Amino acid sequence: MGAAEPTPALAPWITAEALGATAAELAPFQDEPPQMRSGAVGKNGFLHVGFERRGAATILADLDYRAPYRAQRALYCDPGMPDMAWVFVITTSGCVLQGDRLALEVALAAHAQAHVTTQSATKIHGMDANYAVQTQAITLAEGAYLEFLPDPLIPHRRARYLSDTRISIAPTATLLYSEIIQPGRKHHHPDECFGATVISASVCAARPDGRTLFSEKLVIEPGLRPMRQTGVMDSFDVFGNVILITPKDIADRVDARVEADVDLQGGVAFGASRLPNEAGLVFKVLGRETTQIKAKVREFWAIAREEAAGASLPPPFFWR
Amino acid sequence: MGAEGAAVPDTAARFARMLQFGDSMFPIGGFAFSGGLESAIQKHVVSDLATLRGFTRTAVEQAALGDGIGLIWAHRAAAAGDTGELVRIDQQVYARKLSSETRTMSVRMGKKFTEMGARLIGAPRLTQWRERIAAGATPGCYPVALSVNFAAQGLSAREAFVVHQYGVAAMILSASLRLMKISHVDTQGILYEINAGTEAAYQSAAAMHLPDMAGYAPLVEILAAVHVKAYGRMFMN
Repeated sequence: MGAAEPTPALAPWITAEALGATAAELAPFQDEPPQMRSGAVGKNGFLHVGFERRGAATILADLDYRAPYRAQRALYCDPGMPDMAWVFVITTSGCVLQGDRLALEVALAAHAQAHVTTQSATKIHGMDANYAVQTQAITLAEGAYLEFLPDPLIPHRRARYLSDTRISIAPTATLLYSEIIQPGRKHHHPDECFGATVISASVCAARPDGRTLFSEKLVIEPGLRPMRQTGVMDSFDVFGNVILITPKDIADRVDARVEADVDLQGGVAFGASRLPNEAGLVFKVLGRETTQIKAKVREFWAIAREEAAGASLPPPFFWR
Repeated sequence: MGAEGAAVPDTAARFARMLQFGDSMFPIGGFAFSGGLESAIQKHVVSDLATLRGFTRTAVEQAALGDGIGLIWAHRAAAAGDTGELVRIDQQVYARKLSSETRTMSVRMGKKFTEMGARLIGAPRLTQWRERIAAGATPGCYPVALSVNFAAQGLSAREAFVVHQYGVAAMILSASLRLMKISHVDTQGILYEINAGTEAAYQSAAAMHLPDMAGYAPLVEILAAVHVKAYGRMFMN
C-alpha cells in the first residue's frame, strides 16, 4: 500500500506528556484512567496555525491539526482591522477530559496580524484518575500583532489541569494574551465554586535569542489553600489575566490610560503592572461574574488595540 | 574545656548573627515597604484583626511558594560556589516579579543586604556578588542576596528560609502598626501563629524544583497596581 504518513521526530504532545510527568502539583495524580489511556488517539490533540502577510492582508498560510482539535479557514470579520485574519479554535470533544494531552501552536511571520479565539468556553471535567495537560507555543516575528483571546476556562469539581504557554516574541511585535478562569459552575452546585483539585497555568515569554522576559506560574489548589483568604480571591469568584507584550513606547501610552481600583461593594477589582525587562504590561481583573471580567478585558483590549495597531474594536458579538 | 565548650561560642555567634541579619533593625530599608498593606487598608480589604491575619498569612504563603524555592536553590548554588547558576536563579526570581514595586523592593533590599554583608563580613564571595550586581550582570534580588550571605557565614538554607519568611510577616505587621488601629499584642499574636507553619513550609519548598516557583494571590497583585497609581503614599509598596 502507500507509504506511511511521515511523523515528526518529536510530536508536539510529547511536551505535554513530559510536563504532566514532572510537575510537582500533578505528582499525586499519575494513575492511568480506567477508560482510554492518557494521550491515546483522540486525546492527543494538536493544532498549528501559521499566519503570513500577503500585501495588506494576513492569510492563514499553515494549518495542521489532529483530533479533537481543528480550525477552519481564516475569517475577515473585523471592521476595525479588516485585513486581520480571525481564526476560531475548534475542539470536537467539547470539553477537556482526564488523560488529555493537547498542543496548540500559533506562529505569526513578520508583520502578520491575527486574532485567535475559541468557539465557546473550555470546560474541564471532573477527574478521578490522571489529569489533563495543555501546551501552547506562540511565536511572533518582527512587527507581528496577535490578539489571543479565548473564551473562559470552566474547571468543574475535581478537575486537574495544567497549561503551559511558551511565548517567543520579537522586540517590535505585540501580543495581547488573555486568560479568564471561572471558579466552576457556581450556579449549578455549591461544590462547584472553587471545586477544582488543581489548576496550574504557566506563561513564560522570551525574545527569539532566548533572553527571558518574564515568567508567571499560577497554581490554584483550593483544597490546600483557602481561596477566600484575604489577598487571594477574597469575595471575588472570577479571575482574568491579560498580558500585553509590546514595545516600551506603546506600553507607556497604555499604562497612562489604564486605571486601577478595588471595589468590594461593586464586586470588581482591576489594575495593570509593568512587566520586568520592559516586556509590557499585565492587567489583572477580579469579579463576581464573568460578564464583569469580560467587560474589563474588553476595555483593556480597546486601549491596547488603539495604541498598538491604531484601530478600534469591532462591536461586541450580540450573543457572546 | 572539651569540644562541647569550644563549640558553644561559635554556635552562639552564628545564632546571634542569624538574628542580626534577620532583624527588622538591619538597615536594608524594610521599614519603607508595606507589602501592599497600605493599598489594602485604603481599599478596605484589610480593616480588622481577622483580615490583617489573612493578608499576612497570604503574603507568607506566597513567599514560601515562590521566593522561598529560589532562596533554597540559591543557597545550594552559593554553597557549591557556582556563580553562573546563582545569576540564572537571580534572573528567574526577578522574572517572576510582575509588579514594578515588588521588583523595586526585592532589588533594593537585595542590594543593601549585599552591601552590608560585604562591609561587615568582607568575604570575597560577598564582594564578588556586589560587583556582579553593580556591573548589571545580575538583578540582585533579596532572597538570593540572603542566601549568598548566609552560605558565606556557614548559616544553612533552612536558616535563610526562616529569616526570609519571618521578614515578610514582620514587614507587614510593623507597617500595620503605623497604618491601622491594631495593638502590639495582636500583631505579635499573628506572628507567633505564623511561625508555627515555617518548618512545614520549608520542607515543602526544599522538595521543589526551581521552575516550580509559583503563586496565586490575584488581589494582592491588583492592590500593588492600585498603589502604583495612588495619589498619596506613605510606603514604597
